[in-house]
Amino acid sequence: MGGLSASALLKQEPYLVIDHVSKYFVQKKQRLNVLEDINFSMDKGEILCIVGASGCGKSTLLRAISGLDSDHGGQILIGGKEVVSPSKSRGIVFQEHRLFPWLTVEQNVGYVLTGIPKEDKKKLVQEYIELVGLKGFEKAYPKELSGGMSQRAGIARALVNKPEVLLLDEPFGALDAFTKIALQKELKRIQRKSGTTMVMVTHDIEEAVFLADHIIVLDSKPGKIKLEVQVELPVPRDRNSYEFLQVKKRIYEEFFEDEKIPDDFSI
Amino acid sequence: MVSKAFRSTGYFIEYLALIISIISVWTIMSNQGHLNTIILPAPNSILETIVELVADGALFTNMFISVSRVLQGYLLAAFLGISLGILIGLSKHLDRVTELIIQMIKPIPPIAWIPLVILWFGIGESGKVFLIFLGGFFTILINVVDGIHQTDPKLVEVSRSMETPFWKHISLMVIPGAAPNIFTGLRTGLSSCWMCVVAAELVSSTTGLGYLIMDARQFGQTDVVIVGMLTIGIVGKIMDSLLRYAEKKTLRWI
Repeated sequence: MGGLSASALLKQEPYLVIDHVSKYFVQKKQRLNVLEDINFSMDKGEILCIVGASGCGKSTLLRAISGLDSDHGGQILIGGKEVVSPSKSRGIVFQEHRLFPWLTVEQNVGYVLTGIPKEDKKKLVQEYIELVGLKGFEKAYPKELSGGMSQRAGIARALVNKPEVLLLDEPFGALDAFTKIALQKELKRIQRKSGTTMVMVTHDIEEAVFLADHIIVLDSKPGKIKLEVQVELPVPRDRNSYEFLQVKKRIYEEFFEDEKIPDDFSI
Repeated sequence: MVSKAFRSTGYFIEYLALIISIISVWTIMSNQGHLNTIILPAPNSILETIVELVADGALFTNMFISVSRVLQGYLLAAFLGISLGILIGLSKHLDRVTELIIQMIKPIPPIAWIPLVILWFGIGESGKVFLIFLGGFFTILINVVDGIHQTDPKLVEVSRSMETPFWKHISLMVIPGAAPNIFTGLRTGLSSCWMCVVAAELVSSTTGLGYLIMDARQFGQTDVVIVGMLTIGIVGKIMDSLLRYAEKKTLRWI
């Protein structure tokens, strides 16, 4: 755990660089530092999870990386280029599925695709609908889907354009525990197959340890990096293995200092 | 367990009963001479008048003329109302600049415009169409603007994050997002336009249902007036039903 990232070891340029990023709001004449001097980098093909309590600025950071919010100090570089506005090369999955209610699943998934021939578009959309396990629901409207299904459609929509970076803002936060675990496994599987670089924001520590290669723990008020770890657990990850729980415990301790589990504890 | 068919039959029977009772009371009072035939003719006299007017073509000819005027004014109001509505809805700047003017002109009833219309357009068709246009334009415009403003900003953000080209954003995101409000505006606007028919045909007209009513009034032909009114009501209802059907088909995603 901890230590240098692969690119640092190989002395390569990291793919995504967050350089002295800061953002503040003014509330009742007081300056609130939502993000304070955030610095980190990640490699291509990595999954990075940003973990923190609600309101700690992690969503703000994600929005800055996506380009939806470019009003911040410092700079964000992806592949050497600065991020200033949203781009098709960065797909986003939001916490709410945000599917357009007036379009069917296949129309929603294919929304971003322009300038490609109709048959190719249809094939591509079908491929991703099947990838997220929604085969048979192509012509359904969002009102006919469950929460988990809508979220899956949102993931397909974000992936169909084969973005270089996929950003996820607490994508499973609104789902029940079983659907959540199923979708986490699905996402890990998809990422291994497509190799997409992913940055995910979550307040679920177990989710972060399960999915990420690289975890950043964000403190709140002000938003500062408290801890940065590389997760070197083998894949597929066993949530109940000793090694998994060790990593989880290390991060847990950043939030709950008074509840250290004694080493000789057993059931 | 009351079946759906029985329930709607039940309502139908009540409607029928209501109408029959009104007509019966009306007929009885007329026959017993309680009602002045000029102020309120008997139902059978009205029925005779309907037959006369249909036979000599007066009813349907005037009806088609009025309908065509309303359609012209309405389609113009819909086209301008929707396009301007989209522009104003999408631009905070335009919205602020135009808000006061719109809110001030909107409450002026079309009838109050008649003197100005005669001055501007003379006594031809365009003046009448303009009055009908006024009846629907502001309603449609305001509903379109409201529709765009109340579209979920989270959805707008999704479209933005995908660098959606302008026209695709308008046709696949802005307009469908505002569609429920647009349809409300279209239905209310149509009904307003219909109500302007009589006012519009006061601008020196010799044709149309509004003319029919006004002309009949001068000769004390109250039954013709009532038939004209009934026709306006029925045609208005038919057009509204057609629009509701179109709305239901378009908005089946709700």
